[in-house]
Amino acid sequence: MVEFLQFTLGGISFGMIYAAIALSLVLIWRGTRLLNFAQGGMAMFTTFIAIEVIYKTGSYWAGFVVALAAGIVLGAVTELAVIRPTLGKPELNSVIVTIGLLVLFEGLAGIFYGGQFRSFPAAVSVTGLHAGSTYLGVSRFDVFVAAAVLVTTLLLAVGFRYTSAGLRMRAAAFNATVARLSGIRVARVITVGWALAGLLGALAGVLVSPSTFLYPNSMDSVFVFGFTAAVIGGLDSPVGAVIGGLLLGVVLNIAGGYLGANVTALVALGILVVVLMVRPAGIFAGAQVRRV
Amino acid sequence: MSSPAGAPGAHGVHADGAASLAVEELVAGYGEVLALNRVTIRAGAASITAVLGANGAGKTTLLRAISGLVRPRSGRVLLDGADRAGRSPEDMARAGVAHVPEGQGVIAELTVEENLRIGMMSWPGIGRRRADQAAALAEAYERFSPLASRRRKLAATLSGGERQMLVIARALVARPRVLLLDEPSLGLAPRIMTQVMDMVVRLSRESGITIVLVEQNARAALAIADHGVVLNLGRVVATAEAKALAADVALRHHYLGF
Repeated sequence: MVEFLQFTLGGISFGMIYAAIALSLVLIWRGTRLLNFAQGGMAMFTTFIAIEVIYKTGSYWAGFVVALAAGIVLGAVTELAVIRPTLGKPELNSVIVTIGLLVLFEGLAGIFYGGQFRSFPAAVSVTGLHAGSTYLGVSRFDVFVAAAVLVTTLLLAVGFRYTSAGLRMRAAAFNATVARLSGIRVARVITVGWALAGLLGALAGVLVSPSTFLYPNSMDSVFVFGFTAAVIGGLDSPVGAVIGGLLLGVVLNIAGGYLGANVTALVALGILVVVLMVRPAGIFAGAQVRRV
Repeated sequence: MSSPAGAPGAHGVHADGAASLAVEELVAGYGEVLALNRVTIRAGAASITAVLGANGAGKTTLLRAISGLVRPRSGRVLLDGADRAGRSPEDMARAGVAHVPEGQGVIAELTVEENLRIGMMSWPGIGRRRADQAAALAEAYERFSPLASRRRKLAATLSGGERQMLVIARALVARPRVLLLDEPSLGLAPRIMTQVMDMVVRLSRESGITIVLVEQNARAALAIADHGVVLNLGRVVATAEAKALAADVALRHHYLGF
């Protein structure tokens, strides 16, 4: 029972990281109907930028902030320079472009920073937390990870729900034609969506790297789990992305805890197959209203 | 101006009121097919112009070419005499042209009030003060009272007639100078259709909006329009006062089916 609790709590921080990646995919999917396969590669790159800043300044928080800012810039620039020319063309074009971007970012990281594994510092202590004498399966840093993603997600949710900019983004996502005809500059909204996705990816990169080490391919598996989470929750549903991420993180951690770390990818695949068979549009597709 | 919130000028929104709209020698099409072949129409300020014709006549393409959803190959779209052909839909909306496409005017996933707020997105920045927004919403709810009690409901929960009401209310909030309506009565029960047509007339008469109305139901459209234009295979085959068109038995039989 104690083990189960440990595995469950331990899965939450990984789940929140998957949730951040899933949410970044959903933001882009809703705006452009495009899966950004480069999301993990972009996050890896901004994390390398963060580690350089941390080495130079000696300040974790300087690296943290620069990584998030770099994520915003990288997302917006990528959309403007590379993705926009492919929109309106066959959908496969933009998909291939994002895969090409992934190869590009991983190649550039290898050239600039080398291929060796680097350790990445954690914001706060990684020693385990205890309740009395019982180890809880999580550290202070795990709590920080969960809180950081939660706060970012809540800020985004409030922004989408209650601000004029958020309403513009939702209108553009649900019905781009009506949005344009109402004077909403949909192209600008899409750029903002990519910038926010870049921010979430950068956050995930900084938060996961203390556990995974940092190297050019270090975000690949994180991306796959984030993508799985997004599909589980439904690519159209931000709430689904977060819940899908949490669910996946906890289930994988429990499965890995009892059955060994080797089975996690298999379990993730199994969950994906079952969800796609039972609810092909994702668990939270019901929240989506009939598209006219 | 009957608007309880004061004249639109007070908000700095499209201060010059109604605009005349003219389309001259407009050519537009998809691939090889010319959907519009040198189409010329004129709609005087604060008038209602009915655009009629069979399916495939080019009516919807005409509206799309005016609002910028389709880029014309040649010709002019004159708003108060200034050529705006080829501008983006966003620019046209900000210039005061509101286009309600057929059957997809409301965003079903947003609430009634959010749909109305979408109407404010074309306002110039200076007009976005909170007091102006509240006044515009209050005015819309006063005119279209059934919407007031549903303001927090998703637009998806509205009936067809209520959806058209919401679309027209949003047009009122946007305070356009020109309103392009594509088949506003499509799929509505006859009684509801009459109400929608009444709303269109009120929008023109009370708010001084220039309206271009595309309708399958030619009889109903000509009953409320000042002018009528009949399209056939992308060309204008008749243009006259609405009364004259409605009285032209041969034209009615040939093109309008009543």
